[in-house]
Amino acid sequence: MATNILDNINLRSLGELLQQARKKCGMTQADAAKVIDTARTTIVAIEKGERRLKPNELIKLARAYGRTVSDFVRPSPVVEPFQVQFRAAYQRNEQEEARIDPIIQRLEELCRNYLELEKIVDAPLPRNYPQEYDVTSMPIEAAAESIAIAERQQLGLGDGPIPLLRDILEQSVGIRIFYIKMPAKYSEIYSYDEQIGGCIAINLDHYEERRRWSMAHGYLHFLAHRRKPVVDFEGQYQRIPESERLAEAFPKYFLMPTSGLLRRFNDMYRTHGKFTPTNLFTLAHYYGVSIEALIYRLEEMGLLPSGTWDRLRDRGLKVRKVQQELGLEDIQQRPDKMPIHYQHLAIEALDQGLITEGRFADFLGVDRLEARRIAEALREHSSGMIEETVHLDLRQA
Amino acid sequence: MKIRHSHVILDACCVLNFCASGNFIAILKSIPAQVTVTEVVREKELITLQRLKDEENEGVIQFETVITQGLLLVVDFESELEEETFVNYAFELGDDGESATCAIAVHRGWAIATDDKKAVSFSQKEAPHLQVLSTLEIIKSWSEGANLTSAELRTVLRAVRTKGRYMPHRNHPLLSWWENLMQ
Repeated sequence: MATNILDNINLRSLGELLQQARKKCGMTQADAAKVIDTARTTIVAIEKGERRLKPNELIKLARAYGRTVSDFVRPSPVVEPFQVQFRAAYQRNEQEEARIDPIIQRLEELCRNYLELEKIVDAPLPRNYPQEYDVTSMPIEAAAESIAIAERQQLGLGDGPIPLLRDILEQSVGIRIFYIKMPAKYSEIYSYDEQIGGCIAINLDHYEERRRWSMAHGYLHFLAHRRKPVVDFEGQYQRIPESERLAEAFPKYFLMPTSGLLRRFNDMYRTHGKFTPTNLFTLAHYYGVSIEALIYRLEEMGLLPSGTWDRLRDRGLKVRKVQQELGLEDIQQRPDKMPIHYQHLAIEALDQGLITEGRFADFLGVDRLEARRIAEALREHSSGMIEETVHLDLRQA
Repeated sequence: MKIRHSHVILDACCVLNFCASGNFIAILKSIPAQVTVTEVVREKELITLQRLKDEENEGVIQFETVITQGLLLVVDFESELEEETFVNYAFELGDDGESATCAIAVHRGWAIATDDKKAVSFSQKEAPHLQVLSTLEIIKSWSEGANLTSAELRTVLRAVRTKGRYMPHRNHPLLSWWENLMQ
């Protein structure tokens, strides 16, 4: 390896990465200039991609910015910066921007990592994207229900509950779904571009029923407004736009289809001669939705009188406590930060010696020790198979 | 264990494993060469070592002790050539720790101690003349020199397995040795 990689690297991209890293750690160009003992104008030129960096300068800057040199030189898929898409779509105040920008950047980084893993292992995520639904001038509720029915049919879900929604959207449709820590009021971020496809970030700190709701919400944006990036948070709109009203209506039809819900409600009602709070909790658990969401749905269907939720709340209903008393365990979930396909690509790359253990840890966003734990779990998860059998092609005779 | 070089440079895998063994000092003393680690690895892996399941953060203490005692020398790039090679390797490996370890080893003619599949194949391609050692090779040699009983050795290997979560890959030359002891 005789050539210096810095002689051949795209200087403009490198400059941009350096600028982003410098800004992220709150340093000025003058501060950066001091690090490599140069004039501020040199930093300007470096960040514009007009001046070549010496290895020593790159090492010093990376250290000062708290980053690795690999972050700047490793070949990484080029994707359109998410921030640009989101900035064009949303007008946010500075405070809001400071809160959400790091999360948008993290989602972009994870998507880039995903593409990189696909390239390393040569296993692109299979896509089974339905055509975008045209909902122009359709009534919101009817459109939401009709899309929900069509999608359930396409995914072979019948009219029952959807136990592992995340896995279905990731594996059957090919959407990239990450669980990321966000401030409590944020539920989900949705983005799409031709190279990455649909990707959704869900608030890791929300309980699973809410995360499922947010996933269905994001999925509707993918189905009906595919190229429009979305950041979903409470109190966002003074007047809710139609696209958002559709996305808000969709989850109830998708997660609790009318025919199945009606049948189960009637079964319960016939058996007990009434519909009790226990029935309510059991049914919500069955569909993997919150009590509140189920009540509103039953109210809309005319199966419960309006104001039921408020009355239960006024009586001091403690949802978690009742769920524990009824012995209702947490609903089935996979709260990993990374999509399962992403994790499998990473372990395959590690086991084949295509990436180092350190890089594997970076891909999973954990330290080396935690990475080893995850690696073991992933290998065990492959039906308890040992390392040598995990990657066998069973179709080969 | 014969080492053909004056120095051995440890990568992050080995540092973590030796710390997890609870016998870092004794293991280092048994290596017949000056043992080193790069500044890049030292800086990054200190955080991981803090997470080793020890009541008194023994992993970090051991790591710092061996550095203070001079048993483990922290080394950084000493020439532009080393820096250039490091940057080139970072492009190839996407991992600063392994890149720094390999770059310094290549330029100074030092042996490398690593368990990382990618790092092993990379260093063998870049510098086939360099000796590559593994965690198990070093522990085996130490245990033989120190006349450890099978039970004592098993305790050490189990600590590396449980605290450091290390297990050898399927093609490791010492896999059956490790499996026999772990039973």
